[in-house]
Amino acid sequence: MRVTVDGSAVVVEPGASVLEAARAAGAAVPTLCFDERMAPFGACRVCLVGVHGPDGADTVVASCTTPCREGMVVDTHDPGARRVARAVVELVLSELPAAPARHTELAAVVRDLGVDGSRWSGAVHAERRDTRHPYLAFQHELCISCGRCVRACDEIQGAFALTAVGRGFDANVAAGIDAGFRDSACVSCGACADTCPTDAITELSLLAIAGATEDDSASSP
Amino acid sequence: MPGNLVQLASRHGSPGSPTVVELLSAAVRERGVLTDDDIRAAAATTGLPEATVHGVATFYDDLRAPRGRRHVRVCTGTACFAATGGAHEHELQAGLGVAPGERAADGSVSLAETVCLGFCHSAPAVRDGDVIDAGPGVVERVLADCAQDAGEPAARSLLPEPALTAAGDWSALPAVLARLDPEQFLEQVADAGLCGRGGAWFPAAQKWRFARAAPAQQRYIVANGDEGDPGSYIDKHLMERSPALVLEGMALAGYAVGAGEGVVLVRSEYPGSRPALEAAIEAARAAGLLGEDILGSGFSFDVRVVDGAGSYVVGEETALLACVHGLRGTVSARPPFPAERGLYGLPTVVHNIETLANVPVIAARGAAAYRDLSPLSRYGGSKLVCFNERFVRPGVVEVPFGVTVRELCEGVAGGLVDGRAIKAVQIGGPLGGILPASLLGTPFDGAPLAAAGCMVGHGSILAFDDRTDMRAVARHLLAFGADESCGTCFPCRIGLRRAHEEFASPRAVDRTRLEALLETLEVASLCAHGSGMPAPIRSLLEHFPGELGLA
Amino acid sequence: MNDERFDTTVSTTCGYCGVGCRLEAHTRSDRVVSISPAADGPANRGHTCLKGRFAHQFSRSRERLTTPLIREGGELRAASWDEALQRIATELGGIRAAHGADAIAGLASSRATNEDCWAMQRLMRAAIGTNNIDNCSRVCHSPTSYALRASLGYSGATGSFDDIEAADAAIIIGANPTEGHPVVGARIKQAALRGLQLVTIDPRRIELADHAVVHLSPRPGTNAAIMLGLAHVAHRDGLIDRAFIDARTEGFGAYEELLALYDPAVVQEISGVPAADLERAAHVYGEAGEACVLWGLGVTEHKYGSEVAQLICSLALMTGKIGRPGSALLPLRGQNNVQGSSDMGALPDTYSGYRRVDDEEVAQAFEARWGVALSRRPGLKIPQMFDAAVAGTLKAMYIFGEDVAQTDPNTTHVVHALESLDFLICQDIFETETTRYADVILPASAFLEKTGTFTNAERRIQLVEAAITPPGDAHTDLEILRDVSRALGHELDFESPQDVMREIAALTPEFAGVTYERLGRSGLQWPVQADGTDAPILYEHEFHRPGGRAHIAALPYKEPGDAADEDFPLVLVTGRRLQHYNAGTMTRRTANLELMDHDWLEIHPDDAARLWIGDGDLVSVRSRVGRIEVEARVTERIEPGHVFTAFHFPEVRTNLLVGSSADVNTSCPEYKVVAVDVRPVAEEPSRTPALAGPAA
Repeated sequence: MRVTVDGSAVVVEPGASVLEAARAAGAAVPTLCFDERMAPFGACRVCLVGVHGPDGADTVVASCTTPCREGMVVDTHDPGARRVARAVVELVLSELPAAPARHTELAAVVRDLGVDGSRWSGAVHAERRDTRHPYLAFQHELCISCGRCVRACDEIQGAFALTAVGRGFDANVAAGIDAGFRDSACVSCGACADTCPTDAITELSLLAIAGATEDDSASSP
Repeated sequence: MPGNLVQLASRHGSPGSPTVVELLSAAVRERGVLTDDDIRAAAATTGLPEATVHGVATFYDDLRAPRGRRHVRVCTGTACFAATGGAHEHELQAGLGVAPGERAADGSVSLAETVCLGFCHSAPAVRDGDVIDAGPGVVERVLADCAQDAGEPAARSLLPEPALTAAGDWSALPAVLARLDPEQFLEQVADAGLCGRGGAWFPAAQKWRFARAAPAQQRYIVANGDEGDPGSYIDKHLMERSPALVLEGMALAGYAVGAGEGVVLVRSEYPGSRPALEAAIEAARAAGLLGEDILGSGFSFDVRVVDGAGSYVVGEETALLACVHGLRGTVSARPPFPAERGLYGLPTVVHNIETLANVPVIAARGAAAYRDLSPLSRYGGSKLVCFNERFVRPGVVEVPFGVTVRELCEGVAGGLVDGRAIKAVQIGGPLGGILPASLLGTPFDGAPLAAAGCMVGHGSILAFDDRTDMRAVARHLLAFGADESCGTCFPCRIGLRRAHEEFASPRAVDRTRLEALLETLEVASLCAHGSGMPAPIRSLLEHFPGELGLA
Repeated sequence: MNDERFDTTVSTTCGYCGVGCRLEAHTRSDRVVSISPAADGPANRGHTCLKGRFAHQFSRSRERLTTPLIREGGELRAASWDEALQRIATELGGIRAAHGADAIAGLASSRATNEDCWAMQRLMRAAIGTNNIDNCSRVCHSPTSYALRASLGYSGATGSFDDIEAADAAIIIGANPTEGHPVVGARIKQAALRGLQLVTIDPRRIELADHAVVHLSPRPGTNAAIMLGLAHVAHRDGLIDRAFIDARTEGFGAYEELLALYDPAVVQEISGVPAADLERAAHVYGEAGEACVLWGLGVTEHKYGSEVAQLICSLALMTGKIGRPGSALLPLRGQNNVQGSSDMGALPDTYSGYRRVDDEEVAQAFEARWGVALSRRPGLKIPQMFDAAVAGTLKAMYIFGEDVAQTDPNTTHVVHALESLDFLICQDIFETETTRYADVILPASAFLEKTGTFTNAERRIQLVEAAITPPGDAHTDLEILRDVSRALGHELDFESPQDVMREIAALTPEFAGVTYERLGRSGLQWPVQADGTDAPILYEHEFHRPGGRAHIAALPYKEPGDAADEDFPLVLVTGRRLQHYNAGTMTRRTANLELMDHDWLEIHPDDAARLWIGDGDLVSVRSRVGRIEVEARVTERIEPGHVFTAFHFPEVRTNLLVGSSADVNTSCPEYKVVAVDVRPVAEEPSRTPALAGPAA
């Protein structure tokens, strides 16, 4: 199947997503809930691109869960798509109690999209830390409900130890019957920490050095 | 769709075995709260992981709050809001001495909010245990512990020959089985132009074709009995007064699609619907109209009923299927569409209850006659609409498309009680635009309503009278929207909360920021909940800007 | 992960199990602070398990050996490298002079790199002059190696882990991948959730049994009957590939005749597996388009383990399910480099590439390269080394990275052997049960501290790169072996691990094209041709045997070396737990200990009730050769008549119970069939059986 991305022709397999086509063309489309090892989820709505369909219609779509169609023309810099994607990231920043740490995927997306602070402010997640496990730590207030940890535990490890909890703005993530990693089906593989874009789940050892490096880099942009 | 969890659910899920949602609901009804042991037991019985079951217990309204020996649910839907401005909620809370979502210390009584009980015709409504009382004096009666079942108005039809308000009689199915093969019947339905009446208006026959074409050993027909729109009680009427019509529609759809099994997901806010459907299923089985080899035709089809547990978004088809699987009622990205991969990963046609009720009408009268039921419109068939308590003559009414909204409000429903004037009307549910009184001349039809920023939706017609504070309406709708957000996509999960905060805070509303939020919701939401919520807000911005507290 | 938190990030290969996950080790101030899985790891594809991911703090444990130690007057004291090397040269030189080179034996570490193992076997052969060199594959997959060579030709899996996803069905026999090889276990589980038809065969109901079409629970020691039974059904129901048998195998006639004796009723009698389940399992495998067989030590650690492995090959050959994507035989090698240590010839009877030490052509090639005369006499296998030590004919051992006093069977005998030696050298990273008997201890390096290669269970040679330096005065193993060899008078002329690989490639046809450059990030699966072409699938066109045909072995069922009887009515099966690795040397010095800090004996509720054992009771477990005490846990995952425990905790001393029964062809110990008596230790029982009849 042939599609066009930012002016370049790309050949993709049937069933390929617009995101796959964009990456094949070398275009950088930011994502937050996407992890290529798992089925696309379509939750974050940051991977928005403009699409001019073969039927002539112009739409903004979430590229990770939109299949390519023969002759589709994709614009990864579509102004409307970018504008809305930035607004989504601003909304995410507004629900967190602090700016994301530099090394996180979220911070990288903020930089890539050129987002500078958030127009919105309001309720933020309540702080809740869980460090009962010898290696893995929950910082629940940093969870943006992207679902990657739950999906990693499901689709990669197959332990099914994690779940989304709650609804709407209060949605979060929990292990077992909200029992922490140790008292759940967790096998401590760390796939959740590997995929988490905000350090809501991370390693205790990295939290320990995070304090140190933030002092070092306090003055760097 | 979470493939692995659906696979696990399908390994243990046989027809008749309760879903995780149902198991947990039963535990709550019995003991008032869910314990970790309940979670573990439900996980062990169904083969779903314990964490997953815990997640389910934190998602549905019925499972999240503790229950006292006496459990009172106050309806906070839009019709009840339009009736009292929310006063009935405060009075009940004050009288019972318990806040919503809480239980008295001695466990005697608990209070919860619910949306919606389907008694919009007699708002406000309160459910005390399983008694649903409504109308003037309801709070007093509940506080005096003598709630009584409220009456429901009879349905009416404007058609010379009522179609949807007639009780089903199973006469169409035998005729179709005898005379048409499945593809022929599918063509008839395509010819009739039947479109989904849940609000999406998708051509039914197209869904049927996709499902039929998807290779599989088994397919399903799923009826969406989760009529969550506050202000709407159309499907309630059909399930409770004409269950046979709905079941016949499912069987006919099953025949056309090649499905042998149907499931009706019934919301728990309608306690009368499941018994009515199950009685009708039993009667049909006894008459040989459901079950194996129906009337010797070789076609087998049976139906079972599954309970919801309190979630508006479960009305969205992928969330609905998640609920049937016993999972959290969250929305999944499409594709894959349920027609290709739905219940247990198999091809599934999901239809609104009213849509299914149309199918026997098409079978009985033919495609042409069906199309001609609405001579003023491009749409075929008729539409059930329902009116809220503000009207003199509320109730379910069958109407043709194309009559004006004024005719419906004044001619059919008799205008508003107490001589009040209509300030505005919200049509089609909480995601429908709001039509100001000046535009009541708009035809009740797809394109004209769309041009006015409104929609047909599911067909509820909800009037706000001249006392109504439109900023309060905005706050009410956004509170509902934010509370019901499934929490999957970011624009809706965060954005509806922020939108509500705009109207709930004493600060003036920043219009530019609000417009950016509305655009984000419309463009980027995963489903119609997020993308539809801006519509009524835009109507308010256009027609009642002075009342909204804009900067 | 962003680099500014770390000083360096080094790509390497995990040193725990035979999956061979590729990892990124992140360091700060010469300590590993975090490890993340490599997204492009061929075996792990961005995933790993709690051992590879988290259990790395042992490398900086305070208990690390950081200086050579010499035992004097019963006590160990610190010594310099010069002194330790001098002592070794003197002692070994003296023993060789007085008793001959064959009075000295060596044990290469299967956790060390290929280069380390190569150096060790060269040291034993060239510096000392004996073929008494072995590695721990002896006690795990040596029967597999024997069987694969006898039936197919190469001593290695016939495919890769990718064949799991390409298969329609798979048999897992005698393995518990979700605990022993977690990343492969996860891949199997995902495949099963997506439709892979699984058959699990194990006395315990392993986790993957919950995702299997059918689970078979044979009595320990009856695997041969099961394999013959499966083949009987497949043959009876026409699920065989005649064309394949005729074109590519030999020996089918005798096999066919033998199969007639193993109908499902007979197999049920022998193994306890219901006939209907056996039929079902046979059909799942036989009807699949592509099917794999995966096996572990539940197949090999038996008296006839090598025969069962051959019968596995026979079934696959008869049904033609071999040599294609999705149809592979995948023995799950346990150690990170047990495949490699054997490939490198750290074996008493073969050089690298499994070529016999008495093969003139091969021996001469080595002699030419190493510049010394080499013995043609095959050396001692590990069990024979212990016997010889007790008998007095073996005087010295050099044990490199192996804790035989904890992991080898019949601990009493092993300790006796070690105590009988005149001189014992241990090269290790921690003090162990074995180093208690050492005369000289050399402080060695862990996998995060060395450069070289490991070969995983897919025959995949992968690069290992040092992320940190060995602590204190510990040296890398290659350095140590070079120094010891030099002290013994033979110069190992290697400047770097890369030099070693050059020699390996030059002397071994299967590794001819292996260079570090070519290994890159994905490794190479041997055999690697001179131009670098590697071999993900073996036997696509011919088998590696004379004439190119595979051998279908016809081997009848024979009883195991031990069996339950009146005195010892239960059978002990031993295995692994997820959180720990083998002797626990590394994992017990990490926070994995917090996740699991002791072990227990699994016992079925029926047996527990009969024996008045309550959950959590301390019980004694007695076999014909030893006795231990351990906590009991009552569970339905084990079948009645069996008990299970692991061997990660020295306090449990599981191997005290294991006798000397071993595989008839390879001497691999029969760990999996140990008849035991289990009873509560306490005088007062914590529970009593309910009284029958009406309540008193």
